[in-house]
Amino acid sequence: MDPDKDNANPTILNPSDLPSRRANASLKKRDDGGTGLFDHLIPAYTYLNDPFDAPASASDSDDDVVEDIDEQEIYDLISTISDPEHPLSLGSLAVVNLPDIRILPPTTLKSPISTVVVEITPTITHCSLATVIGLGVRVRLEQALPPRFRVDVRIKKGTHSTDEAVNKQLGDKERVAAALENGTLMGVLRKMLATCE
Amino acid sequence: MSQPPAPPPLPTRSHTLSHLATCTPPSPARTWQTAPHPHLPLLATACADRTVRVYSLSHFTLQTTIGGGHKRSVRALAWKPMSRGQSTLATGSFDASAGIWRKWESGGGDAAHDYTNLNPGGKGDDDDDDDGGDGDGDEEYNFASILDGHDSEIKSVAWSASGQYLATCSRDKSVWIWEELEDEDSFETVAVLQEHEADVKCVAWHPESDVLASGSYDDTVRVYREDVDDWVQVAQMGGHGKTVWWVEFEGSGMGRVLEAGVEENGERRAVLEERERAGPRLLSASDDCTVRIWRKVVKDEEGGGQTAGGVPSIFRKSIEEEWVTEAVLPLRHDRAIYAASWSRRSGMIVSTGSDGRIVVYKEQWRAAVPNGVEEEATAGGDQEMANGEGTAAKSKDETASLTEWVVVAEIEGAHDVFEINHVCWAKRYDKGKRNEDEEVIVSTGDDGEVKIWTLEEVSSSGGA
Repeated sequence: MDPDKDNANPTILNPSDLPSRRANASLKKRDDGGTGLFDHLIPAYTYLNDPFDAPASASDSDDDVVEDIDEQEIYDLISTISDPEHPLSLGSLAVVNLPDIRILPPTTLKSPISTVVVEITPTITHCSLATVIGLGVRVRLEQALPPRFRVDVRIKKGTHSTDEAVNKQLGDKERVAAALENGTLMGVLRKMLATCE
Repeated sequence: MSQPPAPPPLPTRSHTLSHLATCTPPSPARTWQTAPHPHLPLLATACADRTVRVYSLSHFTLQTTIGGGHKRSVRALAWKPMSRGQSTLATGSFDASAGIWRKWESGGGDAAHDYTNLNPGGKGDDDDDDDGGDGDGDEEYNFASILDGHDSEIKSVAWSASGQYLATCSRDKSVWIWEELEDEDSFETVAVLQEHEADVKCVAWHPESDVLASGSYDDTVRVYREDVDDWVQVAQMGGHGKTVWWVEFEGSGMGRVLEAGVEENGERRAVLEERERAGPRLLSASDDCTVRIWRKVVKDEEGGGQTAGGVPSIFRKSIEEEWVTEAVLPLRHDRAIYAASWSRRSGMIVSTGSDGRIVVYKEQWRAAVPNGVEEEATAGGDQEMANGEGTAAKSKDETASLTEWVVVAEIEGAHDVFEINHVCWAKRYDKGKRNEDEEVIVSTGDDGEVKIWTLEEVSSSGGA
C-alpha cells in the first residue's frame, strides 16, 4: 500500500452493486404508477395552478423540459469520474452516491432555473483532496448539463473535518472560475474527467 | 412599444423593466462587469477571454476590443473619473496584475460622435480597423502601465472620486491603494491593507472623500481612511452570513430624493438632517441573498457622548467609525447576489445575481406610524410571499425607521438561464431617450452578453 496516499486502503464497491438505469428499469416503468420514488422530480408547480400558462392538456406536460434529467442521469455523469489518487471511479469508492443527489425545481413560477445538489462523501474525514474532488464534480456537471442548472456541490455533513470551508470554496463561482484557469489544477481535473465516456 | 407587453412579474409593481438592447456582438466567453464611461456614451466590459470590450451606449455596438494585456480573465474594470481629454481605464485580472489603459479623446470628449457613421453590422468599416498603433491612434486604447504586487487574482478595482487613488483587491486577502506619480505612467503603492481574513471581493470609494470600503469572503465589510500618513481601517461591519460580493456608496446629497414627502413633518425633516450629517450610506450585497444598507453613526463633536465603555482617547479624537445596518432590502433573491448598484440620480437600488433576476428597489416614507409592522423575513426562501411582500425585512437595527424600501420592478431570467454577474446604472444616450436625466440599467452575464434595460413608471392614470 502506498503510504503517501491519504487513504491507502479505501472500501471499494462491486460495480454490479452500483446504481444504474438497468437496475432501475423496472421501477422506472412504474414511475407514473406511483412508486413514489420519482415524485420529487415533478416540479413543485403544475399547469393547473399556473395562472400565467395557457391551459395545457396532460400530454403536453411530457414536453416539460424540467423533467428530462433525473438523479440517475446526474449520477451517471459523475460516478465515472476517477479519484485523483486511486485508479477507481468516484462511484465505486462511494464518494458519490445516488441518494445524495437531489434536483430542486425552480423556486418561482417564472424562474427557468433548476438546482442540482450533490453531496460527496470523502473516503476519510481529513482527505486533503476533497476540494479537488468537489471541483471535479462541479466542473463535470457544469460542462455536461444545460446552463439552466445551477450546480451546488457540498461535502456531506459530518464526513469531513473542514466541510464548511470546503463547501464555501466549492460554492464560490469566482474561485472556481479562477481555478479553471490554473494549468496545474486543470491537468489534475482533466485526468479525473478523462474516464467520463 | 414594439415589443408585446410581457405580463408583469407576479404582483403589480409601480415600474416596468423593459429590455432595450443587447450589445452586439456579445463576448464568446463569460462577462464579469461593465463600467459606463464617466462622460462619454461608452461601456467597458470585463471578459473572461482576457479582453475588455468597449461598446457604444448610443448604438449598442462594439467599438473596440482591448486585448493582449492580461494573461487570464479580466475580472474587473473602472474608468478614471475627472479625466477629460483622455480616457483612462483600469483593469484587474485573475493574472494578479492590474493594467492601466489610455486613449486620447479626439475633439475634446466628442470622440463618440465620430461613430455615427459606423456600420452597425460591423463589417467592412475600415475606420474600425485602421489603428495606426501609435500613441495617438484614434481607435486604440494604449497600454500605459502594469500594477504588480498582488499574489493572486485581482477581484475588483476602483478609482477614488478625485481620480487620485486607485484601489485593488485580491484573493491574497489584501487591499492595495495606488497613487499615480505625476507626468509618468507609474504608480506608487501608498497602502497595503491586510485586515480581511480571506479573499477581498470588492472595493468601492466614497463619492466625495477619500474613504474606501471593501467586502470579503470573510463575510465582513470594512471601511478605511487616511489617518495622518497612514491608511487605516476605521470600521468593521459584520452582519452578512456569507461572502460579501459587492459594496457601493450612495451618491452625494441623495436626501433630496425624499424631500418631496417631508413638508411640515418635523420627524422626517430630522431624519434627512441626520442623514446629511452622516453622509452617503453604503450598501453591501452578499451570497446570503441579502442587500444591506449601512449608515455611519454621527458622533457628538464634544466626544465622550457615544463612546462605549468611556475609555478616553489619549492622543486625539478617535478615528474609529461606527456603521450600523439601517435596512435590509426586501428579500427577492434566492441565490447569491453578485452586485447591487445605487442610482446617483433617483436613489433607487438595482440588484442581481446567480438566480438571474434583476430587482429594483426604492426608498419611501413609511405610510403610517410603524406600529408593529408585520413583515415576513423569509431567509432567502419562498419568493411567492403573498401579502406584505415587497417591504423591507425586519432588522433590529432599523426599528422605528421612518422609511422603507419597496420593490418597484423585477424581472426573471434577464439573461435567459444564465447567472448575472453585474448590474449598474448608466446615463441613457440612444435616440429613444426621453429626457436628459434618463438612466438605463446595464446587466452583464455569464452568457457573455451586456443588456440594457429601461425602467418606466407604470402610469396609474392609464397614459403611456
